[in-house]
Amino acid sequence: MKLFSHAIRGLAASSILAGLASFGVVGLAQASDNKIALIPGGPHPYFAPWEQAAADAQKDFGIAAVDFKVPQEWKLNLQTELVESLAAQGYTAFGIFPGDAVGINSTMTELKDSSIPSAALAGCAQDPTDAAFCLGTDVYNSAYLGTKELIKAMGGKGAIVHLAGLLVDPNTTLRVKAVETAVGETNGEVTLLQTVADTDAQEAADQKINALLAAQKDEIGGMIATGYIPSVVASKSLRTLGDKRIKFIGIDDDPIVLEAIKDGFVAGTMAQNPYGQGYIGAYVLDLLAGGGCTIKEDATWIETPQTKRFIDSGTLVINADNLTTYKDDLKKVTTDIQSSFKDKYLTCQ
Amino acid sequence: MADAPANLSYRQSHMTDETISTERPRRGFFAGASAQIGLFAIVALLWVIFSTLAPGFTSPINLFGIGRSLAVDIVIGFSQMVVLATGGMNLAVGSIGVCAVMLTGFLLQDAGVPIPVALAGGLLLGGALGWLNGFAIVKTGVNAFIITLASASLFLGAMLILSKAVPYNTLPPEIGQFGRMRLWGYVSPLIFIAIAIGAALYVLYRHTLLGRQILAAGANPRAAEMSGVPVGRVIIISHTLSGLLAATAGIMLVARLGAAMPSVGGEDWLLPSFLGPVLGGTLLAGGSVAVIGTMIGAALVTTIRSGLLVLQVGNFWLQLFLGLILLAAVMADRYRGVFLERRSLGRR
Repeated sequence: MKLFSHAIRGLAASSILAGLASFGVVGLAQASDNKIALIPGGPHPYFAPWEQAAADAQKDFGIAAVDFKVPQEWKLNLQTELVESLAAQGYTAFGIFPGDAVGINSTMTELKDSSIPSAALAGCAQDPTDAAFCLGTDVYNSAYLGTKELIKAMGGKGAIVHLAGLLVDPNTTLRVKAVETAVGETNGEVTLLQTVADTDAQEAADQKINALLAAQKDEIGGMIATGYIPSVVASKSLRTLGDKRIKFIGIDDDPIVLEAIKDGFVAGTMAQNPYGQGYIGAYVLDLLAGGGCTIKEDATWIETPQTKRFIDSGTLVINADNLTTYKDDLKKVTTDIQSSFKDKYLTCQ
Repeated sequence: MADAPANLSYRQSHMTDETISTERPRRGFFAGASAQIGLFAIVALLWVIFSTLAPGFTSPINLFGIGRSLAVDIVIGFSQMVVLATGGMNLAVGSIGVCAVMLTGFLLQDAGVPIPVALAGGLLLGGALGWLNGFAIVKTGVNAFIITLASASLFLGAMLILSKAVPYNTLPPEIGQFGRMRLWGYVSPLIFIAIAIGAALYVLYRHTLLGRQILAAGANPRAAEMSGVPVGRVIIISHTLSGLLAATAGIMLVARLGAAMPSVGGEDWLLPSFLGPVLGGTLLAGGSVAVIGTMIGAALVTTIRSGLLVLQVGNFWLQLFLGLILLAAVMADRYRGVFLERRSLGRR
């Protein structure tokens, strides 16, 4: 019976506290009192820079807490449970890479209903959504520029292979279109030999890329990867083969890819800006959670197939020329977006 | 024939909150009830610990989240429990669930049928797929493990081919609103659906002839057959019921997410489907079910998961702690059971 009375007491105390909070007795959060969580869809090396971005944003903008929290597995229910538990602990804003572009929306709606703003970072939630905005890479533009860079490295002619991510991912469809468009602009000088999809998992990437190189190595003039894992796997495979004839453009700045660029096995890689996504995301969420700013409805958003409120977090090509300086270039992109964000996209009191 | 009473009597000592007709039902019932009281005590103790160490644990938003997850986990547990009762298992609960999810989504969004019709369609599909499993098991005589392992891939593959894995995310708003509804500020209505299903199953197994036939078939199919129980029929019925319950859990998830997604269900449901019933006292060998135990078992898992999250135990430690606490809970419950049995023998 004692156990029950303790449990009931704990429950009652929490209910009273929650009640007091709802009537404003405990006090409304000020901008600097905000607790912000940056939550990826699951463990993935792409999100590693978010940890530093969270720490820097907390320090630079004087936010009470900006924490990087990773769901233990790449599963939507684990991500939503983590969000709910953090909301229960008093977190006041969330920057989320949606574990599922559709499935995350009910959680974002519930956060909004509780006056907790959320934003989609690095990947978008599918409209209709209650995410305040989506800050990520313009995947179409990134794949298009990457393919143009590949064609340039190939001397403007030859056959290319596209190593793409999951077929069911809407971003893959955009990337496939972008590669096809860039190839189409060569008037037949460059042909798309094959699109190898579903390569954004270690085992699948190993099998498919190595089989492809074993069977068609001589026919391939260039390859472009639009997923993190195939980018790393292809860099390794080309180094193992000792092949510098096949030109390759990867994505992201994994040390294996950068080392392969340095040694001439890879022509370049399309940098994304995960640090900037976390840093700018935390800054904007702090402004929104403080209650002083709201999203400007008529701002010049980019419209994508997923959302009408997209902001490009920046992309650039890393090659042998800017291998040592590209981080400064990305930092500049981050500073530019952050410093103009308030005027462009927010209405503040 | 002579085996049957002896076997039933043996089973009876392992009964939990329900049992087939026995010579001494009262003792069996109380032995089962005490097992669940022990499990409930563990859950209550964890609630005291978590609410003391992490005040956010009993905040309305967390209570609402716990209730909603628990409701779905309970129904997933029931969908496995009803086939465990026959001594079988259903590895296709997740696949059936997601098939029902996608059909419901299609009916609501593309076909534009009224909500009750779409829900009925999803449930019917679940029941039909369950029936197929049961029919295949009875007609081929192949173990349920093999049949449902194969059908899990078959159903999932067919769903992916037909739906092209495209989610339905513009469902009528009432669906999502129901999933987000909060009664008294922190109670999800989904929990009442789970409780209602639990009550219906309790009545089925405890007070109907069909329920007793299912348990008899699970306890000893040969003896049950010789006693006039249509074993094949009750196995098919149990699998149909399992499919229906898996579809119900899927539809509850549609309400929870406000969308019908191909990524729900599948293999993710396997662990929760076994954890609830087994922790609650349902025998894997068949012949016994624990409806209330399944609910408490699911509550134990949900409590541990939520409590550790609110305590901010490092996310990568969560799985380890979950395993350790579950093991400790089961060991404690086992020790308590042995202790009660010894004390009972001492009194004779």
